[in-house]
Amino acid sequence: MLMRRFGSYLALAAGLLGAAPLAAQGGTGTVRGRVVDDGQRPLQGVTVSVAGKTVLSSASGRFVLTEVPAGPQAVKARRLGFAPVSQDVTLLAGQTLDLELVMTIQEVQLAEIVTTGYGEQTAGSVTGAVSQVSTEEFNKGRIVSPAELIAAKVPGVQIVDNNEPGGGLAIRIRGATSINASSEPLIVIDGMPIGTSNGGGTSAGRDALNFLNPNEIETITVLRDASAAAIYGANGANGVVLVTTKAGKARQAPQVEYTVTTSASEVTRLPTMLNADQFRAAVTTFAPNNAAQLRNENTNWFGQVGRTAFGQEHTLAVSGSSDRTTYRLSLNYLNQDGVIQPAGVERIGIGINLSQRLLNDRLNVKLNLRGARNSDQFLPGGLLGNTAQMGPTQPVFDAAGVGGFYDWPGNALTSPDNPVAISQLAVDRGITFRGFGNVQAQYSVPGIEGLTANANLGFDVTDVDRATFDPSTLHAQRKTGNGGSTTRRNQSLVNAVVETYLTYNAPGKVGPGALELTGGYSYTRSSSNELRLEANGLATDFLGINGVPAARVAQNFQDIQESKLISFFGRANYNIDDKYLLAFSLRRDGSSRFGPANAWGMFPSASLGWRLSEESFLKGGAFSDLKLRASWARTGNQAFANYQQYVAFLPSDQGTSYFFNGQFIPTIRPNAVDPNIKWEATRTVNVGLDFAFKGLPVTGTIDVYDKETSDLIFTVPVAAGTNLSNFVTTNIGSMRNRGVELGLSIRALEGRNGGLGWTADFNAARNQNELLSINPAAVGAAAQRILTGEVAGGVGTTIQVLQPGSPVNSFFVYQTRRGPDGLPIRVNNPAGANVASDSALYVDQNGDNRINVDDRRAFRDPAPRWIIGHSSYLTYRKFDLGFTLRAWLGNYVYNNVASNLGTYAEVGRASPYNLHTSVLQTGFAGPQYLSDFYVEDGSFLRMDNLTLGYSFDLNRKPARFFITAQNVFTITGYSGVDPTAGLRGIDNNIFPRARTFTGGLSLRL
Amino acid sequence: MMNRRMRRAIAGTLALTALGATACTDTTVEPKSAVTEANAFTSPLAYQQFLARVYSGLAISGQQGPAGRGDIQGIDEGFSQYVRLLWSAQQLPSDETVLGWGDVGLPELNTQLWGSANPFLVALYYRVFFQVSMANEFLRQTADARLAERGVAAGLQAEIQTYRAEARFLRALSYYHGMDLFGSIPLVDETFPVGSTPPQQATRQQIYDFVVSELTAIIPNLPASTPQNYGRATRAAGQMLLAKVYLNAQVYTGTPRWSEARQAVEQVIASPHTLDPNPRRPFMADNHTSPEIIFPVIQDGVRTRTWGGMTFIIHASCGGNQMQDSNFGISGCWWGLRMKPQAFSRFSAGDGRAATFFTSGQTVAVASIGDWFAGIPAAKFSNRTSGGAAGSDPTHVDTDFPMFRLADAYLMYAEAVVRGGGGNPALALQYVNALRERAFGNNANNITAPQLTLDFILDERSRELLWEGHRRQDLVRFGLFTGGTYLWSWKGGTQAGVATAAFRNLYPLPASELVANPNLTQNPGY
Repeated sequence: MLMRRFGSYLALAAGLLGAAPLAAQGGTGTVRGRVVDDGQRPLQGVTVSVAGKTVLSSASGRFVLTEVPAGPQAVKARRLGFAPVSQDVTLLAGQTLDLELVMTIQEVQLAEIVTTGYGEQTAGSVTGAVSQVSTEEFNKGRIVSPAELIAAKVPGVQIVDNNEPGGGLAIRIRGATSINASSEPLIVIDGMPIGTSNGGGTSAGRDALNFLNPNEIETITVLRDASAAAIYGANGANGVVLVTTKAGKARQAPQVEYTVTTSASEVTRLPTMLNADQFRAAVTTFAPNNAAQLRNENTNWFGQVGRTAFGQEHTLAVSGSSDRTTYRLSLNYLNQDGVIQPAGVERIGIGINLSQRLLNDRLNVKLNLRGARNSDQFLPGGLLGNTAQMGPTQPVFDAAGVGGFYDWPGNALTSPDNPVAISQLAVDRGITFRGFGNVQAQYSVPGIEGLTANANLGFDVTDVDRATFDPSTLHAQRKTGNGGSTTRRNQSLVNAVVETYLTYNAPGKVGPGALELTGGYSYTRSSSNELRLEANGLATDFLGINGVPAARVAQNFQDIQESKLISFFGRANYNIDDKYLLAFSLRRDGSSRFGPANAWGMFPSASLGWRLSEESFLKGGAFSDLKLRASWARTGNQAFANYQQYVAFLPSDQGTSYFFNGQFIPTIRPNAVDPNIKWEATRTVNVGLDFAFKGLPVTGTIDVYDKETSDLIFTVPVAAGTNLSNFVTTNIGSMRNRGVELGLSIRALEGRNGGLGWTADFNAARNQNELLSINPAAVGAAAQRILTGEVAGGVGTTIQVLQPGSPVNSFFVYQTRRGPDGLPIRVNNPAGANVASDSALYVDQNGDNRINVDDRRAFRDPAPRWIIGHSSYLTYRKFDLGFTLRAWLGNYVYNNVASNLGTYAEVGRASPYNLHTSVLQTGFAGPQYLSDFYVEDGSFLRMDNLTLGYSFDLNRKPARFFITAQNVFTITGYSGVDPTAGLRGIDNNIFPRARTFTGGLSLRL
Repeated sequence: MMNRRMRRAIAGTLALTALGATACTDTTVEPKSAVTEANAFTSPLAYQQFLARVYSGLAISGQQGPAGRGDIQGIDEGFSQYVRLLWSAQQLPSDETVLGWGDVGLPELNTQLWGSANPFLVALYYRVFFQVSMANEFLRQTADARLAERGVAAGLQAEIQTYRAEARFLRALSYYHGMDLFGSIPLVDETFPVGSTPPQQATRQQIYDFVVSELTAIIPNLPASTPQNYGRATRAAGQMLLAKVYLNAQVYTGTPRWSEARQAVEQVIASPHTLDPNPRRPFMADNHTSPEIIFPVIQDGVRTRTWGGMTFIIHASCGGNQMQDSNFGISGCWWGLRMKPQAFSRFSAGDGRAATFFTSGQTVAVASIGDWFAGIPAAKFSNRTSGGAAGSDPTHVDTDFPMFRLADAYLMYAEAVVRGGGGNPALALQYVNALRERAFGNNANNITAPQLTLDFILDERSRELLWEGHRRQDLVRFGLFTGGTYLWSWKGGTQAGVATAAFRNLYPLPASELVANPNLTQNPGY
């Protein structure tokens, strides 16, 4: 059984054994040697020819040509992107000549080595849509999470952070492909895939890559199209991000680098709430009962909880090499406060990269180790919401108040809590230890030229300790009768990977071209053990987060999650004279998440490239390079919850037992499942064009793609009575993303001899998402809708919809009738509040002469139509200046602070809420959560980054001083806090975006 | 030729690579922190625990209290609790109640303006079928063959037969609610396997027949009304449900069953239940000690917690600057529920049932649904015991929801008699006056035989059973729920009230259900 599965694998190996070279004969000699670039890095795949014999150099740059006729010969070496080399030699019969051929890069964009899944390629021979960004192009400044390095740098990649330092971050490559499974790309660090368990590797709600010091990254490669990602099979549907960390360089004397930066951040935009005078007027007019509660202060509550946030970072790296060893050790310390107290992050990280060549350079062993301790201060729950709600007429402190803080009188359940008290008394912190590393061994098998065996063993261990503490003195605890609460969450995650694979670069041509084969096996096991404790009604506040006192209610939970992914994969690349490029890959994945009937999935891809510029009819033309690419692939997504196929009899907790036969007993509930659950399948077609012009410093790439995801993991309503709940998670429905991407790079000015140099990169991407179907069986029936996007305001209010024909998460709102001023029409009561009835205010979409929730319609969506990025890098003498601009067009945001607090009803609460200034325009007497008035165009242009640097010599070693401003300006028509308000486009008390100024110094010691 | 070392190296490499590949191809990973179907019933207690879950489907919203691991999806979990949804559907569109919140879909329930996507009605429909599904699964798991397969002991097997009758009662109860609220719905029993194709729509008559035949078959097997069996489906509860179905048979099938209703009610009255001498206790935190309650939905501040049920009713009945939350044994008022003026003005002076009405600072008229101070809070239910002690938790209440109680049975008897269902008119009068004597504390307000009219019974039902989740059904049975014969505040969307169309006697099937089950036809008018 097993043998059959590996049939082709072993056949490949058997075939290779016959290809052993023959011994040299008389009258001829042997030419052998190494091809390297001008930095002494070995070059693979160089066509070396002499006297009509041709061979390709191996991974270590080596080549052997036997039976070369004796006499004077020219040894020629040729490789895409490099200047051809010719060396004259005189060969004696029986002689073995050792040569070193040094090649210099001629065209950077073709010669660059691009990391790919299980290997690397030169950019010129890549057939998929792949973008690589390296250190010098990264975004600068205070960057906590590595993905921010490439924000606005890669076409079609949307990076959305939540504005908190070190906070959660989402990456979308060519739009979201999933609804209930993850849409995050697979991230592979130095060959080690992370996060293959659902949410695995994440640390307490923070970005999973926070453990990695961004300064230690050499390149980030984004596999945008599926043919490039398909080698990752069931993890490839959302694209793949390959991260390569810095390593010691060959032949480099020991070197110590030190970089220090300090930064200051200030808050930019905040929710626009009424000031004290406006608030007093609103209360007096619309809730005179409450006027007696007002005081005469003028408190800026956001000012009270905000701050100028400082940060510092130190990175020390030691790198170097000896004959066969390269190494790099790094140490990093980061401390960054957030602009709202007490948010912040502190990180200590170490990294070791070690590479050792053994066995006559046949074996190369690489070790990557990373360890980090992250300490996160989260904003305690409700801080920002209460800051918006708290009346500006009220004081911060009150000598008579509990703990000296002012609270609204009456202790009503709905009264806002004093945000300064929350900020100072409540605690929510997480400590994450992460150890991550792998050993990669690459062995050039002796006797079979071109065969390399690879092994990769990796681990990823995370230990998270999250603790919250709300003392009993907090208003929120007193008003609910909770009496103080604390929670603990301890989670250990272990991810282990074993991979073995063979690569074979046929030493000569196979048929008309060069063949490269890769085949292997991968085994990943992930486990998570989480212990959770929740306690309410604490006997004492004294212990804080350092102990759990006796409590009125205490609950404990344990959850073990385990998963496996087992894969076989293979790839063939075929290259005919750098003109015709073909690539095929196939991956077979077995996952513990798939039901028994669908345990294994197959994920193929095919792609081809045609370098038109090599054709005779274009050779004399304007293009120095013109490559047409086309690909087709099927990838999968298995990033959904474990155990979906198992009917579990879920026990009740201690709060949901039931009285039966004279006592309260625990209960068990079977859950609804689909036992045949399997991967989501994404079919992608991509057509691309890479181009470079002769005599023009412009290179570019254009891609057009169509992705269709079927068998969506979708939690959909099922016919009542046919399963054990009203929704079941199953493979149903499909969606599509179509788009176009453009990347341009212009070396406008070369800047030779200290003159002005200017490099400009430009990228633009358009993506159109559409949910094609939810339940295909329901064709012809009324459109099925699933409501989503919970917002603040009322209970369970949702503002978005999943419905066929619309982009996912389209807003689902009433169409508001507007007056000539563009504002919702008004029917004022005597006090001046807008009491327009629903039928006056909204359009009756279904024509039944009444307005109810059936009259909502899908309207706009949060995903940008266009994402545009521009980076410029200028140099003049010892100065350098770089900036990054980013624009989104056509993204819409629901201003939830305005919808929730933009009504005079909110001053009529037991204690009045402060109102959003939109109420001055709308005059709404009651809440209009579902009005499309609150769905605003969030298009913007932002300068993300501006850096000025000055390079100089310090003790005859290069040094650089630099200052960076991040979030320099934003031009937008959006009225809320941030038009990038998360992926869901719901602006509800989001962390405000900071403007950060960083100054730093890099030295070599 | 290759030397030996080379061959060894090649062989070693290949062997190592292949070893990796042969290491494991088994992808199975069984859950560890969960009890799966394979081992759930290894414990004999599992049968009780599963049956308790069918019961608790009426009381809680998920397997984590007060919310978490919800039973149904598509709505806020706190809103999704059975009693809360049922109560809202029976109370809010009637002449008794307004709920002032602006939650999406809620305002239109106060005014009979709902549509087929109304989240509360959608959730109510799915709650009904969640109960049906749980009961069906219980019946499948306790089929004789399954019990024999698992080697269940004979004694337990006998006990399980009682459990099965209770599960069938709970299924019948939910089908009764489904038939009452939605009319023609699918009829799914335990013979439909999990994951079966969408079922056909049954007529209201078919559902009615099913409920009647099920109840008739199981009542003898149900447990007796004893304090030990409090909360379970006793024989009295079975008779009460049957009486309810018969009493509304004309609405469900077009054929009245007054006599059958009267006979079933007689069985209830003959059961050990008696009127509680303390008229307030059936609505307080110790109402589990009341002899009057025939079938409660049990709540407990610590052990059976939900944001729905009585937690919702008690918290939402409290608000304003003058009502003291602690008087109701709770912490924090939700500022929601008041009476429409028609309900308030039905009570006369001296009626003890109006004693809890909180009039200070409130207007009788409901000028604005959203304004707490418009309308009188009834404040009928409390999380304090009849002895004045607070419930075990200030947020989640101990007060059980009295779904069926004896006072209701008395009034049903009277109605069945007056409508011509036979029986004893003098007894009917005696039952009604027993309630009035308890309410007024004397017999000065007793009525005479000629006063015992249908109109009086409808009004008396509102006085005695105010806010207990019966009102919409009563008004439908009396032909007053829709149309223009009887207008009340906010009926049809205006404060004065306007006539509404008769199709609103039934709620719409959920729009999403029509898609998931193409066999269904929407109720007329929607």
